[in-house]
Amino acid sequence: MKVTVKSWTGVALWKWIANDDNCGICRMAFEACCPDCSFAGDDCPLVWGHCSHVFHMHCICKWLNSQLNQQLCPMCRQTWRFNDR
Amino acid sequence: MSLRPQRIVFDDVWGCLRQTVEKVLKLNSVRRDDWNSSFTDVYSICVAFPDPLADRLYSETKLFLENHVKSQLDEFNCYMNDMNDSESGENQLLHKYYSAWKNYSQGLEYLNYLYLYLNQQHIKKQKVSEAEILYGNGTTPLTISQEQMEIGELGLDIWRLLMIQNLGDILVKQILQGIERDRVDNCLTSKDIATIHGVIHSFVMVQDYKKKGNLQLYESLFEGKMLEASGNYFTSQASKLLQNCSVSQYMQEVIRILEEENVRAHKFFHISSIQKLKKECEDRMITDHKNFLYSECKEMVSNDKRDDLRNLYVLLKPIVDGLKELIQILLEQIKNEGAESIMNLKGENIHIQFVENMLQVHQKYENLIVETFKNDPLFLSALDKACASVINSKLSDGKTTCRSAELVAKYCDNLLKKSKSTECEIETKLSKSITIFKYIEDKDVYQKFYSRMLAKRLIHDQSVNMELEEVMINKLKQACGYEFTNKLHRMYTDIGISMDLNNKFNQHLKNVNDELSINLAIKVLQAGAWPLGPQTNITFAVPQEFEQPIRKFEAFYNTSFSGRKLSWLHHLCAGELKVSLAKKSYLITMQTYQMAMLLLFENCDTMICKEVREVLQLNNDNFQKHLQSLVDQKLLLIDTEKIEDSSVLSLNLEFTNKRTKFKITASMQKESPQQEIEQTITQVDEDRKLYLQAAIVRIMKARKVLKHNALIQEILSQSKVCFAPSIPMIKKCIESLIDKQYIERTANSSDEYSYVA
Ligand SMILES: [Zn+2]
Ligand SMILES: [Zn+2]
Ligand SMILES: [Zn+2]
Repeated sequence: MKVTVKSWTGVALWKWIANDDNCGICRMAFEACCPDCSFAGDDCPLVWGHCSHVFHMHCICKWLNSQLNQQLCPMCRQTWRFNDR
Repeated sequence: MSLRPQRIVFDDVWGCLRQTVEKVLKLNSVRRDDWNSSFTDVYSICVAFPDPLADRLYSETKLFLENHVKSQLDEFNCYMNDMNDSESGENQLLHKYYSAWKNYSQGLEYLNYLYLYLNQQHIKKQKVSEAEILYGNGTTPLTISQEQMEIGELGLDIWRLLMIQNLGDILVKQILQGIERDRVDNCLTSKDIATIHGVIHSFVMVQDYKKKGNLQLYESLFEGKMLEASGNYFTSQASKLLQNCSVSQYMQEVIRILEEENVRAHKFFHISSIQKLKKECEDRMITDHKNFLYSECKEMVSNDKRDDLRNLYVLLKPIVDGLKELIQILLEQIKNEGAESIMNLKGENIHIQFVENMLQVHQKYENLIVETFKNDPLFLSALDKACASVINSKLSDGKTTCRSAELVAKYCDNLLKKSKSTECEIETKLSKSITIFKYIEDKDVYQKFYSRMLAKRLIHDQSVNMELEEVMINKLKQACGYEFTNKLHRMYTDIGISMDLNNKFNQHLKNVNDELSINLAIKVLQAGAWPLGPQTNITFAVPQEFEQPIRKFEAFYNTSFSGRKLSWLHHLCAGELKVSLAKKSYLITMQTYQMAMLLLFENCDTMICKEVREVLQLNNDNFQKHLQSLVDQKLLLIDTEKIEDSSVLSLNLEFTNKRTKFKITASMQKESPQQEIEQTITQVDEDRKLYLQAAIVRIMKARKVLKHNALIQEILSQSKVCFAPSIPMIKKCIESLIDKQYIERTANSSDEYSYVA
């Protein structure tokens, strides 16, 4: 063995994996935060529904709160259920 | 005796009473029996039957008092005629007057008590109320003179009208002479002092019973003349001193005189005159000679003559606008000294010189202001103004933009990276750097540099101490607020989270009885928080030695955080390679690309350049740079001068190095420092435009319609914390928002905008 790796420090960035680039509610990029926040990432997380649509957590919560009786996904009108994966 | 109203013969009763009155006034002893019966006499006159005779008693008593005072006045006049020619006797007049006054006022006090019944039952009833005196009474125009007074007051009024009206001028003249003597040779006896004080206060006391205008006599008869005489004295003193004193001596003398005059004022005058006398002294000795006092001000400041400056401050402080010029001179001096201290800095450690020289100037003048100018806020704000002006001006070469933000950031970087100092020393120095930081206008530039440097420290494990990193971020937060440091804090937390993550990963491996072939440490960064520049996709075929550990980590990561993916920044990764050669084996720290290159020689001795590049899938730039560093180190041998596709590479089996553990750093730096600085500045510019546009939209959304100037003002005040935007830049941003139809010009005015919903 002439050349062997002893140790390695890796540096990686994390990003959201979403089917879309933008939040369907606020139209902001998922890379960015919702209009109510000033910082993206952990401060303004994304959430997934069983219907596979993704939103800013703040956006979907606001949306659901504004719905009177039915809790529907604003994109596909199916009943919204959080997917915890 | 009987309390019932009785018929009386006024002349008889008054005849008896009058004898007591005379004794009381002359302070002769009165037998208790006599006193008591006189007391009753006053009563029985006031309640006499069928008609009360109070008015008659009043006028008889008034007449008696007038005669009493008149006879005393006659005595004085005789005395003065005798003394007419001799000056020496004049002081005696004051003594004589004072003792007459003392007796009279004392006697009057007793008399007032003797007339208690008259005062309370007869006179109080007709007295107009206090409010009526103060504000006038519309229905009954009663003047005070028509009305009867209490006997004590009546006596004082008589003294004023008969005695003081006649003797006042001569008394005042003599008082002023006495004060002059006190000023010049300070030879007054304590009796003289008591007399002068007493005479002066008699002018107050004769009107003391008045609710309003009780100082009227004192002021018109005495105070005006006293101030005028004092003013003349101060003027002549000043011109005498000016003939043979330096500024320094003159100031000392004036301070001494001011103190003496303060003592003198307390010694002689009514309390209301103290401030007026002080003002007179200041006007004549300071304000009138302001230019003289200022003549050496510059030298005092530049030669740090603290005693003189302290005196100057004391003297000029009470003068209107007196300190203005001194403050201006100090401000200029700090500016000059500050500018000089950071001019022509040379060498490796300009950032250290810059911060520490500037701090020295700041500290020197802060100390001067505390010690000499009583920490006066006006002076402190001049210090701030001067420092801000120096720190935000262009450096001496004139061409480049202000480097202060970069230098201060570098100063902190230097401290947090490789200080030999103790933790405590570092923290002190960091705190001091905040002093300078606060003066920087372009705080966003500082932030940009700081975050780049912080990123490097954190990614390359160069921080001397993580606690200190947090301390510094908190200091910045304190100075500029949460938004300013949010990203910095995010970066700091990412490192903590990553360390945690590594521990959990290792634990996880243990739990599943797995072991990695290499020692793995991963840093997971949140995109957006780190100033890593645009993520151009650098292709790179990860060597199989890393491949598996990376996959295992990713799998673990996905179980902890769902909905996220990792992208690896190989240009920022580094590791340690063990290279075993003919003579020795070495532990070499290097970047991932270099590691990958060397790993290729595990199974062969020579390779062609083109082959290496293709296996690693590196672009030419990265390939050349990293290969060159290995060639330079002589770890790899090459058969051509330059790196060409056909060059043959071989591992140098004969490689020797004194150290068995070392680091290859040659290509760590991607850009030259100058390029990096320019890049940072451009980026700040871009950020500013975004910031301004966002601010404009926010403001317009809230206000709907706004005039141009009002909008500019609002923007300036909002951006103040971070930077001072130029007006042209703001205008450009407004224009581009109009183009993008966020806002539009209103139809009726060219300098008014409205929000487009
Ligand atoms: Zn959203
Ligand atoms: Zn949010
Ligand atoms: Zn859906």
